[in-house]
Amino acid sequence: MNIVTEVMTGGIRGGTSILFAALGESIAERAGVVNLGTEGSILAGALAGYATASVTGHPWLGVLGGAVAGGGLALVHAFMVLSRGANQLATGLVVLFLGLGLTSLFGVTYVQALAPTFRPVNIPLLHSIPFIGKVAFEQDPLVYLSYVVVPLLWWFIAKSRWGVLLRAAGERSEVLVATGHRVKPIQYSAVVVGGMFAGIGGVHLSTAYTKAWFENMSQGRGFVAVAVVMFAARQPFKVAGGAYLFGAALALSPALQARGYGINQFALDAVPYLVTLGVLIVLGRRRAADAPEGLSKVFEAATG
Amino acid sequence: MSTTTAVTAPSAPSPTARERVDALRGPARTLAAFLVALAGFALLMLLKGVNPFTAYKDMFVSTFTDKSQLAGILVRATPIMLAGLAVAVPARAGLINVGGEGQLVIGGLAAIGVHLLVDGALPGPIVLVLMAIAGAIAGGLWSGLAALLRLKIGIAESVTTLLLNYVALDVMFFLIYDRWKDPKGSGQPATRPLRDSEHLPLWGSTRVHLGLLIAVAAAVLIYVVFRTTSWGFRLQVVGGNAEAARRSGLRVTGLVTSAMVVGGMLAGLGGFVQLAGAEFKIRSGFLVGYGYVGYLASWLSRHRPLGVVVACLFLSSIAISGDSLQLDSQLPAASVNVLMALVLLGVFGFGKKKVVA
Repeated sequence: MNIVTEVMTGGIRGGTSILFAALGESIAERAGVVNLGTEGSILAGALAGYATASVTGHPWLGVLGGAVAGGGLALVHAFMVLSRGANQLATGLVVLFLGLGLTSLFGVTYVQALAPTFRPVNIPLLHSIPFIGKVAFEQDPLVYLSYVVVPLLWWFIAKSRWGVLLRAAGERSEVLVATGHRVKPIQYSAVVVGGMFAGIGGVHLSTAYTKAWFENMSQGRGFVAVAVVMFAARQPFKVAGGAYLFGAALALSPALQARGYGINQFALDAVPYLVTLGVLIVLGRRRAADAPEGLSKVFEAATG
Repeated sequence: MSTTTAVTAPSAPSPTARERVDALRGPARTLAAFLVALAGFALLMLLKGVNPFTAYKDMFVSTFTDKSQLAGILVRATPIMLAGLAVAVPARAGLINVGGEGQLVIGGLAAIGVHLLVDGALPGPIVLVLMAIAGAIAGGLWSGLAALLRLKIGIAESVTTLLLNYVALDVMFFLIYDRWKDPKGSGQPATRPLRDSEHLPLWGSTRVHLGLLIAVAAAVLIYVVFRTTSWGFRLQVVGGNAEAARRSGLRVTGLVTSAMVVGGMLAGLGGFVQLAGAEFKIRSGFLVGYGYVGYLASWLSRHRPLGVVVACLFLSSIAISGDSLQLDSQLPAASVNVLMALVLLGVFGFGKKKVVA
């Protein structure tokens, strides 16, 4: 396999957990809530998914378990922010600590456990397309799920009636009130569904990517997801691009090392974060302007 | 007058549970939140087959009656205080610095860098001063990067500081696994240790070091600066309403940068005190998680400098009590994060009257 194919294949593989998390965060942010607890939801999903798959023997039940766990943590965030008026950026980190602690408490028994995992499945015909087939259609089922979810979510946000309500909740909540809709239930659903997506991202991480569970295995992917959502302006297709870019940066290090390049591993490990920062820098000015009004209040406290 | 009051006073039927909670004030609310958090964690321990009463008793006894554990609380709280202040100063100007984690590490790296560079050519006390200065400058530059990105390009500093934490971590790994690796080390990746003359003085025979005094003095200094200097006042104006501050002629750019840089310098100093007072070399795992705890300590104290000191002692006690969870109850030490999170949720969500968003 040449290095471009390898990095791009790895980009999709490694980017999928971030993709799910960032899609979820897009939903929450559309409703005006930033959830730094996404990191915690990924962890919770990774453990719950791995544990469920290990106990039941079905990886798809693991997906369900991961979604429930991720959504559960996000519910805590939603309650604190929406019902108790707590600060979003403070609560998000508390939710992360909650996720860290809970997964460490309940995760010990699964560190050594075996679980059925998602294996790559070749899509007939499509996988024989030169290059693209290798990169995109020899992946695991959760990756294929994400291929379906991205356009669906785009349609949901941009075209559906529910999408209008969701965007209104984040941008012009007074319009919702005026037209007889309640804002809170919409925001609650957005945050919780967002957490469920992050949970599924975690399931991909533990049952398809690393095929193991270990403490604090998310390693900042939730924070990266928040950054990706920011430069992708909460649009699913751009989110996918950002997530795959991060994934490709992750895949670069092993690909170069396998070919014996003498580049320091830790310099390469910083590349994904630097790439994310770099994209933010390039696209930053353009993106800051079109954030939902509710978000600007969170991110733009000083200096405007 | 009395008639008007009677008309406008809300008719009070029997209060609901939530209203009763909202009616509690200040310390009583915090205490109630703490007790509910303890109860919640007790339930989780029951789920894991651990007797919560014994576990809490063990945690309390081992944490607060053992002299070495008490010292442990102070030692642990020291860098967290500086990391907390690193959040409180920018917060006064309305900025969110979630990068204490990385700024601590960069400060520690700069400090050990001075040690390696000097290589014993200067007397210990001078090296200590140089290390402190280097740590502070490096931390300030690291956070200044986020301020620059914020002001020039408009990227939220909350996100850039977070990402820079991971970059800082990789810088550290690069140095300790490669460039600065101690060839005479035990195989575990770490830098060479500081010379004995380059250690911060200890308090008597305990592990508590001069860094604690530095951290508390920094908190007092910032408290005074906030109250008495025009810089402190201007930061508050910018934090209150940046646009109004700009229109009334304040140099918002300079103020925002200075707040962020001073914050990073404090965290960088935190990296230095941990290095020269407690660990003496940089190994993988250096100050992992301390920056985030400092961040939460600052929010817990509503970004008041002296409150940060108290909040750090409180959170450090919880963290240290995790040792007992591991030793006495055979639960993973990190599970104490659940207790900490529950306490913080209680205080953030119920510690003050509900603010309608």
